[in-house]
Amino acid sequence: MAVSAVHLESDAFLVCMNHALSTEKEEVMGLCIGEHRLADMTGRPMRVVGWYHSHPHITVWPSHVDVRTQAMYQMMDQGFVGLIFSCFIEDKNTKTGRVLYTCFQSVQAQKGSEYERIEIPIHVVPHEAIGKVCLESAVELPRILCQEEQDTYRRIHSLTHLDPITKIHNGSVFTKNLCSQMSAISGPLLQWLEDRLELNKHSIIKLQKEKERLTQELASL
Amino acid sequence: MGYSACAKDCGLGAYVSIMAASISGYTFSSVCYHSANSNSDHEGFLLGEVRQEETLSISDSHIGSSEFLNVIEVHNHEPCTQLFSFYDYAGNVNEENLNRILKDRRKNVIGWYRFRRNTQQQMSFREQVIHKQLTHILGIPDLVFLLFSFISTANSSTHALEYVLFRPNRNKYNQRISLSIPNLGNTSQQEYKVSSVPNTSKNYTSVIKEHGTEFFDKDGVMKDIRAIFQVYSALQERVQAVCCEVDQSERVKEKIQEEVNKLKEEITLRKRNSAEEERRLQEAAAVMLPDNSALPDSSHSSLTQVVLSGPSVEPSLERPVNSSSPPIYSTTLPPDSPSAILLPRPQAVGSPGHPSPSLGLGNGDGSSSDSLNRQATGQEDQEDDDEDSSEYENLVSEQLQPPSLTETVLLGRPATLWPDGDAHSPPGS
Repeated sequence: MAVSAVHLESDAFLVCMNHALSTEKEEVMGLCIGEHRLADMTGRPMRVVGWYHSHPHITVWPSHVDVRTQAMYQMMDQGFVGLIFSCFIEDKNTKTGRVLYTCFQSVQAQKGSEYERIEIPIHVVPHEAIGKVCLESAVELPRILCQEEQDTYRRIHSLTHLDPITKIHNGSVFTKNLCSQMSAISGPLLQWLEDRLELNKHSIIKLQKEKERLTQELASL
Repeated sequence: MGYSACAKDCGLGAYVSIMAASISGYTFSSVCYHSANSNSDHEGFLLGEVRQEETLSISDSHIGSSEFLNVIEVHNHEPCTQLFSFYDYAGNVNEENLNRILKDRRKNVIGWYRFRRNTQQQMSFREQVIHKQLTHILGIPDLVFLLFSFISTANSSTHALEYVLFRPNRNKYNQRISLSIPNLGNTSQQEYKVSSVPNTSKNYTSVIKEHGTEFFDKDGVMKDIRAIFQVYSALQERVQAVCCEVDQSERVKEKIQEEVNKLKEEITLRKRNSAEEERRLQEAAAVMLPDNSALPDSSHSSLTQVVLSGPSVEPSLERPVNSSSPPIYSTTLPPDSPSAILLPRPQAVGSPGHPSPSLGLGNGDGSSSDSLNRQATGQEDQEDDDEDSSEYENLVSEQLQPPSLTETVLLGRPATLWPDGDAHSPPGS
């Protein structure tokens, strides 16, 4: 049975978009943590309920591979959903940039035939404060990137037949790549965090004032 | 980087001026995030820097000329907590309010932005008026305007955010600039070499071995690697530390917001109770005839018939958490209504779908949502209807139906959505 709708909290949306916009040269992917809600829900533990990935420079619609991958996930969990973020799209004529996102599941049209996608409504739901989990996901990205770089470098480094010049070259590639990560991801991330902190400080002051005003008003009633 | 070029002849040789604009992915996402949390249009200011860089001539045909790159860098944004915070319905900008919002960041302003749902990718009349005034008040001749427009498919499965950066103070031909989002680009892991260029020269081998050792420490690890890793670690530590501070501030903010909400509810409740009390007393007084023939029984029954028609109840500030019922969809328009084509129903991104029949002249029904109600950060006074209502620019049709809470037909902007396949440009965008 298909999922009727997906609610994506705005702070999770923020993290997905950050991730999607981190690189235009390859697709990134991640998992969505959440819960299924039924009419008579009581609390249920959070678990992986879907996956998302980016389509830089390409159409937002899932490819055949994506649809098949989604179908595989659905075999383990019927309620699993797929999200795709399409970004770095620009209409050169109108200088209009575009970011799209879609939600889908897979269904087998007929027995034995290929899978096709079905569209699932998705709504980004307001969430005024950014949750702890989302913040942690956001700062995880530079760590993951560095880890991936280290893993690659270690494999290269273990090749013993390379001459010193080649080793120096490879070391420099590592250095260069880490520098790219710092200036493209860590730096802007840190700046955004500082700005957010500043914004929150101001909001808190404003809210405090309002709280006092309301407390007085209540007392006078 | 995206660019638009305009050639000018200054008499000393031609020079080409190229415009480039950039915004970080984090700032861009942040604007989307704030917009998603607004139930109406969202706006704010763009802070950053405009620089001119001279680049070396790039081709033979440009020998003897310089190329100037005008770079517009958006560093961050200052979101406004509500609409009309620094201007009024006529588009008159209030400098005092502006200063209060910007504070010492005023000098960093390079532009402003607006997020709208289901509208044309062009500035509305009021936006143009505001832009002219901001240009004058802030003293920024080339103030830019970034317009975000949000559209969705009819079934809300696919959504698009379009964005255009305008330079309204320039002539018609130079108005739009490409906005690029710098990113990691090529992670370049392909640049690692897995083999060395074959070389049998003994001289080569001995020289590079002897002098190459400088680069390696006693463990055979490149010194540079350790050094850059130190930089990365220190940076990541700092990121983590600031993140913790942000997390704390978010919790504090949440808590105070909740307390504020509770206080408001309490106040409303008290006001309602005291209003009821008033009425009850008045009823009782009215029933009490001058000859004191108050009949306990009949007065009792009349008291119980007091109708609760009071001051508008403060709408519940709870976010609807129960998603068993799909979120509120917007109006159902009769299928053959001409306005269906001109006027897509605003949707998605948590919008309650309250189009106000505003032709840019003010709000119509001043609809503060009575169904899906949210409180934006710092947004005060829910009782003030006007500021909270969705404001949609460029509405052409007047045939708007009042929103009804049906979940069925949802009309998107039919012509521009991509049923099968390619993300091609919507016509007229």
